[in-house]
Amino acid sequence: MLMPAPDKTTLSRRDDICAALKAMLPAGCVIDDDATMRAYDADGLSAYRQMPLVVVLPETTQQVADVLRWCRDNDVKVVPRGAGTSLSGGALPLADGVLLGLGKFNQITDIDFENRCVVTQPGVTNLGITHAVQDEGFYYAPDPSSQIACSIGGNIAENSGGVHCLKYGLTTNNVLGIEMVTMDGDILRLGGKHLDAGNLDVLGVMTGSEGLLGVVTEVTVRILRKPATQRAILVGFDTAQEAGQAVSNVIAAGIIPAGMEMMDNPAINAAEDFVQAGYPRDAAALLIVELDGPEVEVDYLLDRVGEVMQRSGSSSLRVSQSEIERNQFWAGRKSAFPAVGRISPDYLCMDGTIPRKALPEMLTRMSAMSQKFGLRVANVFHAGDGNLHPLILFDANVEGELQRAEEFGAEILRNCVDLGGVLTGEHGVGVEKRDLMGEMFTEEDMKQQQRVKCAFDPGHLLNPGKVFPLLHRCAELGRLHVHHGALPHPELPRF
Amino acid sequence: MTFLPEAHEALEEFMRQAVADKTSLHIVGTGTKEKLGDMVTADASLSLAHLSGIVDYQPEELIMVAKPGTRLDEITVALAEKKQMLAFEPANLSFLYGAEHAGSVGGIIAANLSGPRRISAGAARDYLLGFTAVSGRGTSFTSGSRVMKNVTGYDLSKLICGSMGTLAVMSELTLKVLPRPETSTTLSVKCAALAPAQKALSAAFKSATEPSGGAITRASSGALSLGDEPAAAHVRLEGVAQSVADRTSTLCDVLAEFGRVSVLEQDASEALWQDIRDIRILDEAAEQVWKLSVTPSHVSEVITAITAQTVIRFFCDWAGGLIILSGAGEGLHQIVRSAVEAHGGGHASLLRAPDTMRGAIASFHPQPTALAGLHDRIRQSFDPLHLLNPGKMGSVSRDA
Ligand SMILES: Cc1cc2nc3c(=O)[nH]c(=O)nc-3n(C[C@H](O)[C@H](O)[C@H](O)COP(=O)(O)OP(=O)(O)OC[C@H]3O[C@@H](n4cnc5c(N)ncnc54)[C@H](O)[C@@H]3O)c2cc1C
Repeated sequence: MLMPAPDKTTLSRRDDICAALKAMLPAGCVIDDDATMRAYDADGLSAYRQMPLVVVLPETTQQVADVLRWCRDNDVKVVPRGAGTSLSGGALPLADGVLLGLGKFNQITDIDFENRCVVTQPGVTNLGITHAVQDEGFYYAPDPSSQIACSIGGNIAENSGGVHCLKYGLTTNNVLGIEMVTMDGDILRLGGKHLDAGNLDVLGVMTGSEGLLGVVTEVTVRILRKPATQRAILVGFDTAQEAGQAVSNVIAAGIIPAGMEMMDNPAINAAEDFVQAGYPRDAAALLIVELDGPEVEVDYLLDRVGEVMQRSGSSSLRVSQSEIERNQFWAGRKSAFPAVGRISPDYLCMDGTIPRKALPEMLTRMSAMSQKFGLRVANVFHAGDGNLHPLILFDANVEGELQRAEEFGAEILRNCVDLGGVLTGEHGVGVEKRDLMGEMFTEEDMKQQQRVKCAFDPGHLLNPGKVFPLLHRCAELGRLHVHHGALPHPELPRF
Repeated sequence: MTFLPEAHEALEEFMRQAVADKTSLHIVGTGTKEKLGDMVTADASLSLAHLSGIVDYQPEELIMVAKPGTRLDEITVALAEKKQMLAFEPANLSFLYGAEHAGSVGGIIAANLSGPRRISAGAARDYLLGFTAVSGRGTSFTSGSRVMKNVTGYDLSKLICGSMGTLAVMSELTLKVLPRPETSTTLSVKCAALAPAQKALSAAFKSATEPSGGAITRASSGALSLGDEPAAAHVRLEGVAQSVADRTSTLCDVLAEFGRVSVLEQDASEALWQDIRDIRILDEAAEQVWKLSVTPSHVSEVITAITAQTVIRFFCDWAGGLIILSGAGEGLHQIVRSAVEAHGGGHASLLRAPDTMRGAIASFHPQPTALAGLHDRIRQSFDPLHLLNPGKMGSVSRDA
């Protein structure tokens, strides 16, 4: 992975830069010794490591603004970082960039049950929000598997999803407002406790912008009342194709479950070895379908989903009879990553999305690719919304395996696009999928996105080298190419 | 004259020419909401009425791809056949604007107009999965996708939604669609004033009954007047029949403490929410109609601040977070906007006014300087020559 060449002048000015930042921030907010900085040299995509120029951990929005403005004035790059759990390298440091950590923004500022929202600083964890409101029977719906660790600011930057976003939406559908700081050091408030933007939806484009457009310093999210009942069904299938079809059949029956997950045989067995969740080891694929709401509704829908499953050829079916059993059903799914980590020295987690109906075809192609690359793959899917997480198993100590795993991953994503899907459903592009953007977008599509970037950060100082394979200078992107006189359709009306 | 492209290629060609000639364009879908937003002065007109039709509808994938000029009626009918819907409940503002139909899907998305289910299911912006458009540079681009879950690149769908044709001209849209609820019921409770009615809504939305709508009107459901007049809070429950029945009885208990509760069954319930969605319960002759998005718990303060200075009629939706009001007078915009700003924040947009006033009042809530600057730069990134609906969302500093 090629990152932009570090700027030599910046590197040579390191001492001055550190001194300036220390003068700007309270004691303990600037980290410039190698031993402490080491903790920040990678995010969840740990195959890539890079020591930052320096780490700053500001405590207030004004300090964030001061740092950003100073960096802009002095032409220094900045990489924002939340909890560092990104799986796409979004928070990967730059050798010539300040790493701006939001870890000290760890307070919830307002819990408002009347308006069913929470105002929080961005460093608070996703689960921290639910913890703060659960005694009153509320929760924050988007639930990435990393929710005990990842920050809500990182969730905004990645537009994170989770098992329950089939029914409750991604981060973008659950955020009401943010406070953000631009690279110019301007502090902007977007949205709040009211709905909609009333003008251009800048909040909408900030969500999922991977730290390239601004630094989020406060977040307002909506919270929901916990459903009265939650129950899950565990359904085994003899073929992955039938399981894939069953997923479409549930949706076609007009039912949107709270979650609908799928695991293939290798994933089932890895999970079973790890947590003994009671999964059918011989099933080619397993579906976990969760329904929530009032008890009568859940009972009724459980019956209907059960019928659909049987009609779709299920080989086994169990309905959770208690909260303990429901959690047990989920235990295997939720520990799928560490479970796979036990059967293989290393794995790569991919994250494409395809139309639901293409699931069977994708699985067929996946086996063929697994053979071609000579690497095993275990599949866990957010099947309800077509989001795939193939885990490619490899051993980094074997010469060439990492590279082969990455090529396998890239081919999976190309196939996702080929089947009408996308490169990433929730983990973001980061550095990991940066060079594949051209598979999904034309040059012009990407140029328009980068022009939006220029509206926020014309100097390309905020998190450069991520998301876009080529850095076009903003002046060049702004140029209009108009060819006067050469009219292919002279018959069209002129004014 | 108005150019009416029938295909993307013709649109692109036309736009390329307009850019070459620096011809500014007044862009309309089917023209039903032309009076929404500021006045546009342009060299020529572009209508998307003939760039129309459902391109692809896959009920089991929950997506519909349509061209922008497709009439909303056509889409609603196609979806109803498969027991599906646009969950954000697009408003039919034909009553407000004297139009013959609900308009085009492109227009609804460009204006980000959502109905009562906004409070539970999200806004129009939450249902645009992707689009193809031609920018003010005369170039075509695509953003987003046709799948439910996608974070590849910036989410330009959010920007285009609500941009009122000032960023790019959409030629194709992919929408997420959802199953229609099997049944619906509305519980209404009569309250002594606006504040307790809002409290009743708050209690309903805090309960585990999953309301999909929360509005406040006068008990008679006619045009609502102000102040201490009795108000009625309405809460809608939707879903499978067993569930709705169960939640209805729970909600009855929750609301009983606020006043006498009555239940509207399916047809009456649907009729009420349609009237609310389409702003039909406001007085027809009103000089100005405003839409205020506020913090729900501040609604009665906002209303009190306004009624202390002028006479209005109003009703509320979105659990109290949306106020639709009618009134008159040259100073109304200042009264309304300062009330919103002083009481919890939000924004106030002008939905309808005589043309003479529309020229003088900014339809969209003015932004703080730094944010306004960012808006300008975003617009310029799509439309550097300010050719697309110039002035529609306020004036942009024109480059020489
Ligand atoms: C085991 C595991 C399971 C996971 N499961 C899921 C899952 O189910 N669903 C899912 O969607 N993701 C999942 N992830 C990915 C990851 O947790 C999410 O992307 C998360 O949102 C990242 O949050 P973070 O605080 O760790 O951000 P970081 O990793 O620190 O940063 C991520 C990106 O956000 C930017 N950023 C962070 N904070 C800010 C801020 N305040 N302002 C501006 N930009 C900022 C960074 O620059 C970077 O580009 C998983 C990760 C792991 C390790």
